[in-house]
Amino acid sequence: MPSESERIGGENLRIDDLWFSYGGKLSIYEGLNLDVRPGEFLGVIGPSGCGKTTLLNLLAGFYEPEEGAVTLRGQPIKPEDPHLGYVFQQPTLFPWLSAIENVEFGLRMQGMGEAERRERAQHYFNLVGLMGFEDYLIVRLSGGMQQRVNLARALAMEPTLLLMDEPFGALDAITRETMNDELLRIWDTLGQTVLFITHDIDEAIYLSDRICVLSRPPGGIFRMLDSELPRPRHGPTTRTGERFWGYKKSLINDIAEVTAQRPTSEEEIALLKRRKKIEESD
Amino acid sequence: MLGNPQAAADVNKLNRKVRRFEFSWSWFSIPSLLVVWMITATQFPAYILPQVWHVAQEGYEWVVSGDIWPHLQGSFLEIIGGFGLAIVLSLICGFVAGFNKGFREYIVPLNGLFMAIPPIAWAPLMLIVFGIGYTTIILVVLISAVNPMILTIMEGVLQITSQEVRAARVLGAKRWQLFVHVYLPASLPFVTAALRIGFSQAWRALVAAEMIGAAAGVGWMVQVGGEIGNARQVLLGIVMIGGFSYLFERLLFRPIEKKYEVWRLA
Repeated sequence: MPSESERIGGENLRIDDLWFSYGGKLSIYEGLNLDVRPGEFLGVIGPSGCGKTTLLNLLAGFYEPEEGAVTLRGQPIKPEDPHLGYVFQQPTLFPWLSAIENVEFGLRMQGMGEAERRERAQHYFNLVGLMGFEDYLIVRLSGGMQQRVNLARALAMEPTLLLMDEPFGALDAITRETMNDELLRIWDTLGQTVLFITHDIDEAIYLSDRICVLSRPPGGIFRMLDSELPRPRHGPTTRTGERFWGYKKSLINDIAEVTAQRPTSEEEIALLKRRKKIEESD
Repeated sequence: MLGNPQAAADVNKLNRKVRRFEFSWSWFSIPSLLVVWMITATQFPAYILPQVWHVAQEGYEWVVSGDIWPHLQGSFLEIIGGFGLAIVLSLICGFVAGFNKGFREYIVPLNGLFMAIPPIAWAPLMLIVFGIGYTTIILVVLISAVNPMILTIMEGVLQITSQEVRAARVLGAKRWQLFVHVYLPASLPFVTAALRIGFSQAWRALVAAEMIGAAAGVGWMVQVGGEIGNARQVLLGIVMIGGFSYLFERLLFRPIEKKYEVWRLA
């Protein structure tokens, strides 16, 4: 059982009537509403080009909404917010630091003393199962281990909201399943609010309390699916159960429908290209 | 499995740098050159192509008489002055150009223009304006080194991914912390490359400039040795030019490079 002292807990993330477009031309969200409950694990899926990256940039405060607000326990979000943790798709670890120094990075930025931050970093380092690899340079670690460091680095700040952008997307299927179980174990211990973006339907079902399917812009949310899969989840049982397959079937249909909403006019395609350019130049 | 101390120890062993006495063909590089020199020298009279030991003897005489010091000192001060200025200037301009698109657009054509002109072409102009002496040489050295250095450092800043910077921001890094803890270390490999490129440019320019407009220095030694037909002095000068470069490489660049080569090249 998780001890109460380790628990960080989660906070309420709200998106109220969010409007966003690129340069006023290409509208991505027109009145998006989303209420993520404290401590909830919310999966977000959608085909590429549906604005997943844009959504995360808005949630982390890298982009400003044109209208509406993104708030964490009632406060607008900024990237530097200590309550916000972000796990990126590619491990964005700092190769000039050792594994444990990477985990200490945020604490060091806060000005925490050396002994204290090492102790805290070590705690999360052990929690993600990396004990013994403290002094390794990042290049010496496998992709899965790098993502563990990445996760520990975000956790060490003890954020109440964890944004995860396809964190295991680059891993092979077996490593990904292991990482899914590890993530659930850690989340069960710490109890944060998690917003997990993925393009993998199985992963979304396996992890989430609710699954949000994004539609093609400027649609916002296509469907919100409440999962009744029992916890704790267990790979072989959960993934082969009737309900899992039911959800999977319905999500596959959703994604197919969203994918079918192709851009129709030449003008729209031109705008999409423009947006791609803006995202890349950013 | 990852928490297994045995697995960790095994990888640790692999991780540790193996320090062994290993044969290398590089042991033959310089000796083979000396052998070729000595064999060739047997075919010429000593006043045209002196033997290795003649040059060594010449060096010994210069050292004992103390004549060598003003030349060493002159070249040393000029390279410190010119290359030092180039380092400061290129760090400032390189980083600003990396961060600021406007400044980048402004300075890149200038860098290209200056790099298209061999630095020694500036020497006569500097001589007219500043006369024979340190200022002339230092300016030629500066012009030759600073341009490729700015471009290299700028590239170093540009290759830093916005993802790395974002990761640091969500970990709470403020502006100056981003600079110290992300931009500086991330661009270190490029800064070292810039130092190397800059030094080799600077050193070439220095020797060439000394041959045109100086009253001392290793370039001057080669030039005057040639004029008076003293092949020993010419060769001694050449050996010193190479030796100087080698010392900089060993004492300055290698130690800096060692700091990051593990994470960069592994």
